[in-house]
Amino acid sequence: MLWVDKYRPKTLDKVIVHEDVAQNLKKLVTEQDCPHLLFYGPPGSGKKTLIMALLRQMFGPSAEKVKVENKTWKVDAGTRTIDLELTTLASTYHVELNPSDAGFQDRYIVQEIIKEMAKNRPIDTKGKKGFKVLVLNEVDKLSREAQHSLRRTMEKYSASCRLILCCNSSSKVTEAVRSRCLNVRINAPTEEQIVKVLEFIGKKEGLQLPSGFAARIAEKSNRSLRRAILAFETCRVQQYPFTSNQAISPMDWEEYVSEIASDIMKEQSPKRLFQVRGKIYELLINCIPPEIVLKRLLFELLKKLDAELKHEVCHWAAYYEHRMRLGQKAIFHIEAFVAKFMSIYKGFLIAAFG
Amino acid sequence: MDMEEMDIPQPDELEWLEANSHLHDEYEDFDEPPQPYPQDLDEEDEFQSQQSNHYHHQNHQQDPKPTLSIPPKTTAATTDSSSTLPTKTQIKKRFRSDGQDSSEDWARSEDKRSRVDDVRLENEEEEEEEEDWLRYSPPGRTQGVEVVEEPVAVVEEKVVSRFASEIDGDCVPVTGLDGDRVYAKMISRLEEMNGLKKVDIKGYSSGLISEPIHILIQRAETEAFKKALQASVEGSTDAILPETPVVNEKLWVDKYAPNSFMELLSDEQTNREVLLWLKQWDSCVFGSDIRTTTDEVLSSLRRHSTVSQHQKSARRSFSRNNRGPTLSKENFEVINGLGLENNDTKGIQESWNKKTKGPGPAGPPERKILLLCGPPGLGKTTLAHVAARHCGYRVVEINASDDRSSSTIEGKILDVVQMNSVMGDMKPKCLVIDEIDGALGDGKGAVEVILKMLSADRKSDIGKENVSKEEQIGRTSSRKKHRSESLSRPVICICNDLYAPALRPLRQAAKVHIFVQPTVSRVVSRLKYICIKEGLKTSSIALTALAEYTDCDIRSCLNTLQFLHKKKEPLNVLEINSQVVGRKDTSRSVFEIWKEIFQKRKEKRDRKYGNGCSSTSKDFEFLHSLISNRGDYDLILDGIHENMLQLHYHDPVMRKTVKCLHSLGVSDLVHQYIMRTQKMSLQVYQPAIAITVRDLVAQNERPNIEWPKSFQRYRTMLMEKMDILRSWHNRISPHISRHLSTKSFVEDSISPLLHILSPPTLRPVAVHLLSDKEKNNMFQLVNTMVSYSLTYKNQKADPVPSILRHETVVDVSMLSFDPPIGDLINFKGYSSDHLVLAAAVKQVLVHEVEKQKILQGSISRSMDPTDNCSEGNLRPVVEQKGKVQSAAFGCATTSCAENIQNAKNTSNLKQSNLVTNQVSAASGSTLSSTTSVQVSSPGPLKKPSGGSFNFFDRFKKLSGKGSENADNPKNKPATLERDSRPLLFKFNEGYTNAVKRPVRIREFLL
Repeated sequence: MLWVDKYRPKTLDKVIVHEDVAQNLKKLVTEQDCPHLLFYGPPGSGKKTLIMALLRQMFGPSAEKVKVENKTWKVDAGTRTIDLELTTLASTYHVELNPSDAGFQDRYIVQEIIKEMAKNRPIDTKGKKGFKVLVLNEVDKLSREAQHSLRRTMEKYSASCRLILCCNSSSKVTEAVRSRCLNVRINAPTEEQIVKVLEFIGKKEGLQLPSGFAARIAEKSNRSLRRAILAFETCRVQQYPFTSNQAISPMDWEEYVSEIASDIMKEQSPKRLFQVRGKIYELLINCIPPEIVLKRLLFELLKKLDAELKHEVCHWAAYYEHRMRLGQKAIFHIEAFVAKFMSIYKGFLIAAFG
Repeated sequence: MDMEEMDIPQPDELEWLEANSHLHDEYEDFDEPPQPYPQDLDEEDEFQSQQSNHYHHQNHQQDPKPTLSIPPKTTAATTDSSSTLPTKTQIKKRFRSDGQDSSEDWARSEDKRSRVDDVRLENEEEEEEEEDWLRYSPPGRTQGVEVVEEPVAVVEEKVVSRFASEIDGDCVPVTGLDGDRVYAKMISRLEEMNGLKKVDIKGYSSGLISEPIHILIQRAETEAFKKALQASVEGSTDAILPETPVVNEKLWVDKYAPNSFMELLSDEQTNREVLLWLKQWDSCVFGSDIRTTTDEVLSSLRRHSTVSQHQKSARRSFSRNNRGPTLSKENFEVINGLGLENNDTKGIQESWNKKTKGPGPAGPPERKILLLCGPPGLGKTTLAHVAARHCGYRVVEINASDDRSSSTIEGKILDVVQMNSVMGDMKPKCLVIDEIDGALGDGKGAVEVILKMLSADRKSDIGKENVSKEEQIGRTSSRKKHRSESLSRPVICICNDLYAPALRPLRQAAKVHIFVQPTVSRVVSRLKYICIKEGLKTSSIALTALAEYTDCDIRSCLNTLQFLHKKKEPLNVLEINSQVVGRKDTSRSVFEIWKEIFQKRKEKRDRKYGNGCSSTSKDFEFLHSLISNRGDYDLILDGIHENMLQLHYHDPVMRKTVKCLHSLGVSDLVHQYIMRTQKMSLQVYQPAIAITVRDLVAQNERPNIEWPKSFQRYRTMLMEKMDILRSWHNRISPHISRHLSTKSFVEDSISPLLHILSPPTLRPVAVHLLSDKEKNNMFQLVNTMVSYSLTYKNQKADPVPSILRHETVVDVSMLSFDPPIGDLINFKGYSSDHLVLAAAVKQVLVHEVEKQKILQGSISRSMDPTDNCSEGNLRPVVEQKGKVQSAAFGCATTSCAENIQNAKNTSNLKQSNLVTNQVSAASGSTLSSTTSVQVSSPGPLKKPSGGSFNFFDRFKKLSGKGSENADNPKNKPATLERDSRPLLFKFNEGYTNAVKRPVRIREFLL
């Protein structure tokens, strides 16, 4: 068991990072009926942890007894029937699912399956709550149509069902859905908070933490708590009596991106662009999302860039990322960004050094 | 006539043939008689008449009593021989009509003649007189074209009289030179036949010639000329035959369709190949009748074909054509000696060598199907038809308009291929399947049928091979047997797209010929000829332009010309550019399109079409239509993307590249939008993007274009890895996996996880040698691996060299992570600094992980057997898991009692409710059972009851009021029953510390 899982707070009381949010949620659940909830925030900030703790708060520890079901649904869509395979995680009180798994057919999941689930009241009405909970992950990846069909479901079956939505960015959730939910923003933990958590874990594990070491890990973690804890454990495994200047192993793909960035800085030509393309393909093949590749690449490039170019480069990065999301072939757009950067940088070099 | 056409040998062959013909008796019966053109003689009247004269004289010399003969008469007669000619011809004709037994016939006719002469003697004077009259008949009669010159037969005494009343029947007045007038009797045909025995002259005197003789002669002459011409055409190559007479309604395409092999416009090489292939069938189809000629033609064809590989195939065909062992060695040498005069003796000798030595039976060519492919309008169908007809087949065509379902076509093909026609001409059939790629679904039927027959054939071939080898000498019988098998007629398939998926199997089985465009000059000369014929005024420049414009598609050229002719317009160069000439909707291959995009067009073309308008807009139009005809923009743009950066274009600050990629991005956006909204009409804008790219990066030199693979590769690899991740994700217990998306896993977790899983501190020693601390670390590690359902697995090929570079053990099979998560950081050209455990450590880990899994499984099952029934896999409840696992691990290494204590302690510490108590008790009992070798029944006896308590406890808690009382009695007999029959079950017998515990059969059944 990794520390990430081992020291995950099980109840709202034990939450360290978002204590205030946790307390509010607890009050909300215990005092009155719970509204629909929308959790949003960057990855690794603790949304899921909070949701699980909340469920436990609502239904008690038996809410954690879950089983995985892989079920095929037959959806009748007018002229044809569509087979949808959906993995759900269900306890007696709640169902957790990821509707965006169905890709462009997510509409049917929302319209048929979720409605079906929402319609049916839970079996034991004598339980603590008169409703069951649907946890929908990655709502921001739902298509617009699916989100629209979701909002009616939210209103109609609110008597027997609560939705807890979880996503990274609320801007991709339609206004209508957002207004029907209590929006809960989960910040990325600050570095101080991360340090606090790391110290807590260190104490539990009985480790000696040299001063400043936790801060270094927090700094490298990109404000992701998961990453920080994992890095911490890695350090523990690699060399136990910590030294304050111990190397913190980086993410491999980030290393690779920085290699690409230095490639780009070294030479700007179509030939080099071709090599870069191959490397970007490598990243994409290994399931790294293209947006993250682009973002990371921008960071790496900005590190080495003259200050007066930064603004322009950022602008173009945003421009191409936007197009990438509209389009389908991410490689075209990432490559276009690289080409643009090369063009700008080369122009700058020529202007500066002749 | 077809046979004749085919059998007319070339002069040098003839020579050779004559030289050799006497050598092999076996051929004589089917050889041509030594005299040339025996059948043709009946047209060559002049020659015949000379001959007949000759014969006549001879006969008269031999005649014992040549009382009166016609030749002296005719020579005596002063003037025109034209009137006398028919008589000779007549005689000659009679002679020839029973040509076989000529001598006998002559004897008979001489008999007759002598009798006739007797008769003649009686009224010699009269006749003489009469003949004079005839000769000096009025000029109007002889010279008038329409007037039938009928020599009047005057045979009997009463036939000619001064008085018409003396003659019964019809009569004709005849006036002599001296003014005497007589009446000649007209004898009807019937009478004439009867009278034949009386007078020979009667036979040729009337009714046979309906046209004036000079016309006949003329026709005979032209016909002979034609024959000679045709023969010469057959021999030399480039003569064009006079056309068939003009019929106005016909399409020119049909009207000027080539009728003979030499008229074909298609590439000569291909023509010859096709003909050669067809000829190879001869021995099989026609049997022995014409084999000699076949061989000769084959050899001549072979001599003409220039390419060496073709020669090879020809030679192979020779070797197939078994000449038979009757040809003895001596004969063979004689042939060589004689053949030395020939230019190509060596080739022939070779072929003869092959023939005699070749063991194979006389059979069809190796590839029994010919597949012709090429763009439309080049004359594939025409070639097939002409060649087949040329070789003496009757063509049976199946094309796309016919029903081509598998069942119907099978019958049809069988009819054609395996049977001979009984009625009509006895020509064998040749099957031509046109447009076999046309309708793919249906065409497949035809392909399947043919292939089935082929395969059946091959089987029988293999079976027969041995037999025929043995029976080389008496081969005729074996050949007959052979012929009865399937596919004994040539099959020619025609298609446009060789690479149509339906044709894939056929492509391997068939002999494939790809049509190439005929040369422009050839097409133009033909077009010019037709234009002259039709009286259409053209210039060769215009025709050349037309041919180029249509890519040498003769059909469309002709149609265009006819259209213009109908409109009474002359063809000029300008019109071709205007819309008068319809352009074919041809789609080019993608490679050609990419080439067009990446390579600048030659200036020549710009000049040619660039009169008036600018060349860029012309280019734009050209490319636009090219790309939009092809469709498939996605592929085209992918290809542009892949190959673009390999081009050489001047781009100092990457501006062009940026623009190109920008427009590619636009195309991607458009594509996505179209797909999403299904607005296909927006596809119109795609070609413009490709053209933009072209304007930016097109180069002069020839680009090296590759098929775009990397995007597809990326797609499939991504799918693969996602699949691995997803299945792994599903295997991890949900308490962990629910917090991890695959994305966040790859992004955040994998690198640290790999570090954590391979701690550098772990010593590769046995477990019991480790210190407590190390044991603890080890336990942590195993725990992590189990909770993430990871393990090591033997792998034959090492896919992750960078990961395993610390591996010191020289083992062929390496241990690597079971879900291959190591691959996920294995970027090309990147070396990570991940440590890899020694193989020994891995072995230990694998062992421990297995053990841990089994323990967990047993714990979870004993904890709540009913809860897991739907899952059937190992899924422990999360709270207890950690503790129980630790206990389990300890149990493996240390004593049992301590562990139970430990487990109880930990459980007591954190949990006070009934559930966990029961569970810990259950786990304790399990552990005790695992360590003690002799399993005692009382230990595990409690466990099921504990499980059931657990089960009921849930209900109690949920519903408040326990349903325990209601359920207990029901459950009791069940527990009793299963306790009465304990079952010992062994897990993992191979391990030294195999876990044994009793399991009820019911638990399996649940």
